[in-house]
Amino acid sequence: MAATTESVKTDAAEAPLLNKRNLTLGILLYLTFYSFIRWYEGVYGWSAGLDSFAPEFETYWMNMLYIELVAEVLLFAGINGYIWKTRDRKVMSITPREELRRHFTHWIWLVCYGWAIYWGASYFTEQDGTWHQTIVRDTDFTPSHIIEFYLSYPIYIITGSASFMYAKTRLPTYHEGLNLMYLIAVIGPFMILPNVGLNEWGHTFWFMEELFVAPLHYGFVFFGWAALAVMGVVNTEVMAITKLLKKDLA
Amino acid sequence: MSASQSAVRSRAEAVQVSRTFDWMILFTLFCAVLGGYHIHYMLTGGDWDFWTDWKDRRLWVTVAPIVSITFPAAVQACLWWRYKLPLGATLSVLALMLGEWINRYMNFWGWTYFPVNICFPSNLIPGALVLDVVLLLGNSMTLTAVVGGMAYGLLFYPGNWPIIAPLHVPVEYNGMMMTLADLQGYHYVRTGTPEYIRMVEKGTLRTFGKDVAPVSAFFSAFVSIIIYFLWHFFGRWFSKTDFISDDAT
Repeated sequence: MAATTESVKTDAAEAPLLNKRNLTLGILLYLTFYSFIRWYEGVYGWSAGLDSFAPEFETYWMNMLYIELVAEVLLFAGINGYIWKTRDRKVMSITPREELRRHFTHWIWLVCYGWAIYWGASYFTEQDGTWHQTIVRDTDFTPSHIIEFYLSYPIYIITGSASFMYAKTRLPTYHEGLNLMYLIAVIGPFMILPNVGLNEWGHTFWFMEELFVAPLHYGFVFFGWAALAVMGVVNTEVMAITKLLKKDLA
Repeated sequence: MSASQSAVRSRAEAVQVSRTFDWMILFTLFCAVLGGYHIHYMLTGGDWDFWTDWKDRRLWVTVAPIVSITFPAAVQACLWWRYKLPLGATLSVLALMLGEWINRYMNFWGWTYFPVNICFPSNLIPGALVLDVVLLLGNSMTLTAVVGGMAYGLLFYPGNWPIIAPLHVPVEYNGMMMTLADLQGYHYVRTGTPEYIRMVEKGTLRTFGKDVAPVSAFFSAFVSIIIYFLWHFFGRWFSKTDFISDDAT
């Protein structure tokens, strides 16, 4: 019988290695939230987002910006603070099975991080392109920016930092030292947010068009490359998990 | 923890754990590569990729392969040289194209009402398949860079020709000769890229006659080879598992 079809006996009282419920909920959380956001901008982008001097722009877009900025700061502090506060102070003495379980939890975070990067760097970034080709922008805080720069980017930053924090505080693999590629995979995409400062300054100062390949945008490109550092994280994880399994899987 | 103790209770469980991790890794890698590759590609070649009236025989053919061979080379450097998985280029390109198609349909069309036949993405799949096949058969970075990179550049235009050809037929409109793609652009005014910054058919490539696209494709293929080498080493660097000290003292 093939190894993959053999039955796997697990202790009924023991928590499962992978919490599938959390994994599913994590993915659905982003999907549901961003589906709502897409609906919101579809409706209020056209009806209230064309003129930044109009009162309805303040109501539907600037208020959204203020709310999301406050919520993001609170969320960042809350999640990372919780993970740090509840850290394992004896992380080097956990059992191999517990360590494997934590690797699975860590991968739930990484799956969510990848998923959040997709929404931020792909979906909402290219979407911003088509909005700029359709309206005449009269503010740096145009509706697509309020979603892209100030919502979807902070969300992947929060997810990535939480993932890193979880690994650092709960996994022996990351306890000693800092994994260079993990740092780059989190800090590189984070740097895209400060780079918005350059982008908005340039567009306001001398380049009002939205040529996507303009050199003004190359900061985003450079920091986008950092997503490749996820390969280093994968390699580190594969080595750690292989060591834990101690089985020939060929 | 005990150095000799396994975290699993049987080989079957180890296999199951391993397969589960495979799926989680694949999903994460796919999404992260998609995000990074998409932001890179849209900001280095995006304008030619967004609109049919930018898809000309010179700059589109030249720019698109050069800027798009980057992530495939880097991902190959990880997946082949570490795991012998010959799918780095195809995985990258499929990820990018999935992200692009979702966007063109959901947002270019769904939010701002550009018809999909003016804003469909370029096809990069033939070149990516060849890159992976050359790597698989040759097991050589140099061969993949030279033969695969060359093929990647050369195949771009033929790979897109059946799609773009109907839009390159000439039409006369208000006494002006233009392509059908130009006419699409004429009717769908884009506020962020006015006509004076549209970069098409620039230069003197037609000096020697009509062979504009092949000359552009060969130049693109040449640069693609160099870019492949460069990004192969980027990929190796990004695959490192090094730790640095977190000791501040």
